[in-house]
Amino acid sequence: MNHSLLFLIPLLPLFCAVINLLFGMRLPRLFAEVMAVTGVAGAFVLTLIFWGHAEGEGTRAVLFTWLNSGTLDVSFALNFDRLAAPMTLMVTGVATLIHLYAVGYMHEDDDYGRFFALLNLFVFAMLVIVLADNLLVLFLGWEGVGLCSYGLIGFWYRKLENAKAGTKAFLVTRVGDVFLGIALLWLFALTGTLSIDAINDQAAAIPSGVVIALSLLLLLGACGKSAQVPLMTWLADAMAGPTPVSALIHAATMVTAGVYLLCRFFPLVSLSAVAMTAITAIGALTAIYAATCAMAQREIKRVLAYSTMSQVGYMFMAVGAGTVAGAMFHLLTHAFFKAVLFMAAGCVIHLAGDENDIFKMGGLARRGPVELFWVFLAGAVCLAGLPLTGGFFSKDGILLALFTHPDPVYRVFWLVGVLTALLTAFYTFRLVYLVFAGDYRGAGHPHAIPLLMRWPLWPLALLGLAGGLLNLPAFVGGGERLHHWYGALAGREVSASHDVEWMLIALAAAIAAAGWLAAHWRYRSYRPPLENRASRFLLSGWQADALVDRLFVRPFAAMARFCSSGCDRTLLDGTLDGLARLVSSWASMLVQLTTGRLTTYLSAFAWGFLIVLGWFLIKLVNGGGH
Amino acid sequence: MTIPFGHALAFAAALFVLGLSCVLLRRQIMMILIGVEIMLNAASLVFVAASAYWRQVDGQIFVMLLMAITAAEVAVALAMVVYLWRRKRTLVADEFNGMRG
Repeated sequence: MNHSLLFLIPLLPLFCAVINLLFGMRLPRLFAEVMAVTGVAGAFVLTLIFWGHAEGEGTRAVLFTWLNSGTLDVSFALNFDRLAAPMTLMVTGVATLIHLYAVGYMHEDDDYGRFFALLNLFVFAMLVIVLADNLLVLFLGWEGVGLCSYGLIGFWYRKLENAKAGTKAFLVTRVGDVFLGIALLWLFALTGTLSIDAINDQAAAIPSGVVIALSLLLLLGACGKSAQVPLMTWLADAMAGPTPVSALIHAATMVTAGVYLLCRFFPLVSLSAVAMTAITAIGALTAIYAATCAMAQREIKRVLAYSTMSQVGYMFMAVGAGTVAGAMFHLLTHAFFKAVLFMAAGCVIHLAGDENDIFKMGGLARRGPVELFWVFLAGAVCLAGLPLTGGFFSKDGILLALFTHPDPVYRVFWLVGVLTALLTAFYTFRLVYLVFAGDYRGAGHPHAIPLLMRWPLWPLALLGLAGGLLNLPAFVGGGERLHHWYGALAGREVSASHDVEWMLIALAAAIAAAGWLAAHWRYRSYRPPLENRASRFLLSGWQADALVDRLFVRPFAAMARFCSSGCDRTLLDGTLDGLARLVSSWASMLVQLTTGRLTTYLSAFAWGFLIVLGWFLIKLVNGGGH
Repeated sequence: MTIPFGHALAFAAALFVLGLSCVLLRRQIMMILIGVEIMLNAASLVFVAASAYWRQVDGQIFVMLLMAITAAEVAVALAMVVYLWRRKRTLVADEFNGMRG
């Protein structure tokens, strides 16, 4: 097939989004739903058709020249290469299932036109990021993702806290976008091109100090979208959106964009050991931070949100340890099992009568359809990293890469990763026990779960469980397919002796089992939540919101107050008001001259005439004197 | 006999001052208008006298023009006087002070 048809992959969801945006509410509901699902499913099918184009050097398709001014020549071009192809397939595939689920989830909501339009637009923006050939196109998708997340998180905007959560996501990610924007302009100033491949080719010629600065800027940009440590506060609040949106943000779009960005620029980033260590450190910090927070959360979706942060932290660690293949492997398996977990959580919330608090659930395994428990468990064992699941192999690959890294400081990061794995297994099974085991503790009446909310879970659960086959390590007889697929893009070759590998894998299995046993011991029979200072600290996410509030929001508000009441109202308004009052008082003096009386005017006219006459007379006399 | 130019100018000046005093001192609109007419006639007189003095016909032509314009002006002014009378039943000029600032 003609490779310029590659454009159909992102444009199909865009087209359906535009149709739904303009006519969605006038069309029958079924049409809007079919439109939304076909847009994404069509993109998925197209990705499969074009799969062959990604091999080798990939395929570059130019639609039109976007900007052309001096040396700046930006065309609207897509690059379907070995890095983009699996990502595109994952995004479209997972998004298709999420869209199907959304049809079931939103069947009672009246605002379906806006919802499906934004959902499609979200997928479009993410596909633009994934397929972008140059930085400007990437930035377009990057901002588009931010916009759609704002619209979807605040989808039920009539409740103020939802609208605030949307605004928060928008603003916090915007902070990262500023750094990405700076990096973009700097890269253009250095290399004179915006093409990602060309920049990566020229990366070796850039001075090493600049490479560090650029990598850190890119890292900060990635942190914003991927909710990593300095800029992570938005993700937990993003739960305000409808559940399919959460699934989309956490699994297919948005949070993985940061990891993808770093993988895209891996040839540049990997030149600097400092930047790589910084990436790993950020990932490790986020992983352990989010895992501790997740242990104390009470809302089911918040637990999952923090687990996403933590898992994305693993992906950052993988990039930092130099293995792009490892990062992408974990990204893919994580997308599968996190989508399952979120969509199953949506069903759980339905069953509990719109109750979010896991301490008011319990016994849902017997209360709802039995398969719900099994798919949730499938997602949970992947997240916890029980042996032989997809999450187990992908996480183990990352830990191996950290362990075998030549720099000894990476051993510390490896230790953090192992500790995080233990906590992950613990809070995952805490969630499972609290939600499904024991007796029902809530008072809600279960809603019926539509069929469309059930069966999209199955393929994802199976993909999550079997995800390890994508990149099964060689020492257990796997082919490391993903690693071979990426070829030169895969990053550092992670190699260790079989003994080390077996030791690590046994350790990972033991850790996961230990987490499970701890949760089993603690939550086998129901216990009310702890109410001490430590758990409150963790519940509030290490008081990160309060910290941001104190460090940035309040000083900013104080500065705004100073500018408003100190400068604007007192100084500027005072000066201008004083001037106006002065002029006004003069005017009221002058206005007394206009009496409106004819006789006054006439005599004034006569006197004026006399004065003019007299002046001429004086001039005449003086002139006559000479 | 011929009137000396100086006499004519003096007479015109006296006439002008009389008209001006009428305009300035009287309060009735009718009287102000009459004062204006007298001033105009004084101006006409100067034109005629100058025409005779310099033996140029231009001054007299201008006076003809002035008379026509004065007639038109009086017609408009008297119409407005009638209108003002209808408005306020008075012709005292200072009563019409609607333009006061």
